[in-house]
Amino acid sequence: MKNSSYFIKESIRIIRLNKLSNLFSFLGTTLILFLLALVVGIWSISSQMTELLRNEAEINAYFREETANTEELLSLIRQVDGVREVRLVNKEEARSRMEKILGEEADILDLFDENPFEAFFEVKIELDRMDSVFSQISSLKGIDYVRENREILEQIEKVTKALEVLGYLVIAAVSITTLIIVSHMIRQGIYQNHEQIITLMLLGAPDNFINFPYILLGFLLTFGGGIMATVLIAVLINQGYGRIGGTLPFIPMPPKDQLVYGLGVFLLAVSAALGILGSLFGVSTSKSKN
Amino acid sequence: MIKASNVSLRYADGTLALRDVNLEIKPGEFVYIVGPSGSGKTSLLKLLMGIEFPTSGSLYVLDQPIVKNEMRNIRKMRRRIGPVFQEFRLIPGRTALENVVLGMRFLDTPKKQMMNNAREALAKVGLEHKASVMVDKLSYGEAQRVAIARALARKPSLILADEPTGNLDYDNAINIMNLMYTLKDKNTTVLVTTHATHLISNYSGAAVIRVEEGRVSVEHRGEQI
Repeated sequence: MKNSSYFIKESIRIIRLNKLSNLFSFLGTTLILFLLALVVGIWSISSQMTELLRNEAEINAYFREETANTEELLSLIRQVDGVREVRLVNKEEARSRMEKILGEEADILDLFDENPFEAFFEVKIELDRMDSVFSQISSLKGIDYVRENREILEQIEKVTKALEVLGYLVIAAVSITTLIIVSHMIRQGIYQNHEQIITLMLLGAPDNFINFPYILLGFLLTFGGGIMATVLIAVLINQGYGRIGGTLPFIPMPPKDQLVYGLGVFLLAVSAALGILGSLFGVSTSKSKN
Repeated sequence: MIKASNVSLRYADGTLALRDVNLEIKPGEFVYIVGPSGSGKTSLLKLLMGIEFPTSGSLYVLDQPIVKNEMRNIRKMRRRIGPVFQEFRLIPGRTALENVVLGMRFLDTPKKQMMNNAREALAKVGLEHKASVMVDKLSYGEAQRVAIARALARKPSLILADEPTGNLDYDNAINIMNLMYTLKDKNTTVLVTTHATHLISNYSGAAVIRVEEGRVSVEHRGEQI
């Protein structure tokens, strides 16, 4: 503790020693962390959208009205593993749904003497278990056929997975880039202070004492970059919500404050961790033999 | 304190810097190591600091064996040494006081005592009025004295001074030698290398060790305090 002010002063001195280079490193780190926040933000929003759509994943099971016991079938379907919710849509509801879809064109349905729609079970399912739910419901006695919107659901799955992979790739790329920038910055600082470090070693200073200002330097610059990136992303989200909210009201966006807070905490934690790791890497690869 | 048995030092380029050195220096001794330039004086100090390692023989400094795989302990041993380097090794961009304090920051010295020791040491070398002057702005002789103050402030068990009068004019050299001799203390062993033998004739209480072509011989055994 007796050296805390020395360590801070020393870190600031090392930053001043190479102002321009450290400024560019700081700006580079800010930009990279901002890009990370952008990707993670989009990932977060799309994950939420996907989750909502996943919750809406459903299949329709049609039955032979003349022979089937609907109450019993309802109960049997409910027991199938992977079924989240099931309800009976009778012929009238099926017709009224179609009328809503057709809108002004709904008159076309009047051409039919009788209601052409069949009653069916609307089954909300867990997307991961679609195959097993599909085959189990199909095999139930009284079920005529099952219709599933597999293609749409599979597309959603693909998009979600692609975004997830992209998210991980960006996190990995940002982490590696930040580590390289920070460790390079540290190595440069160590190189410029080589003689001072040798002197401290000759005076018997332990490695921790010698390295701490450099670790602090990496932490300060990267964490500073994290704060800057948080400010930038907060501004962007505020402006973005103002525009998207008005034009695309059907997109299920997470609450703005929750998104900003989540991304802020994420950025600060990541920048702190990357700063320390990058510094440690930089210090460990700049060992002197004395 | 220091015990060398059949110590030789050969550098990577094949130069034999020291050969079969046998030496024992007891606590409280004040020792001048003399010899012409290039005779092996600095090599001997480098061995004692653990900067170089004996190619053969055994060397103990402050009970620490000087061997390569003991680097961590050698670093600890250095904390008990007050080195005065030929090239001073002061940290630029800092004041004289900051330089002296920096030499103590990683010792067990409490913060308040660090400042007291530093000011006291600067006063001892006659530079208390230059405490807040950047070392880059000090004269050669003043910088040398700051380096000595840094060594003193650490209250070391062993002071190793390499050519502290090198490149100084006669008056400054005499002043430095007088100052070094005042470090005679029963708790501190002092080793000072110099090629200027004419400067040490006044200090009859000191031991004199001669280094010539890598061979070390005791010329005069001083009084142990």
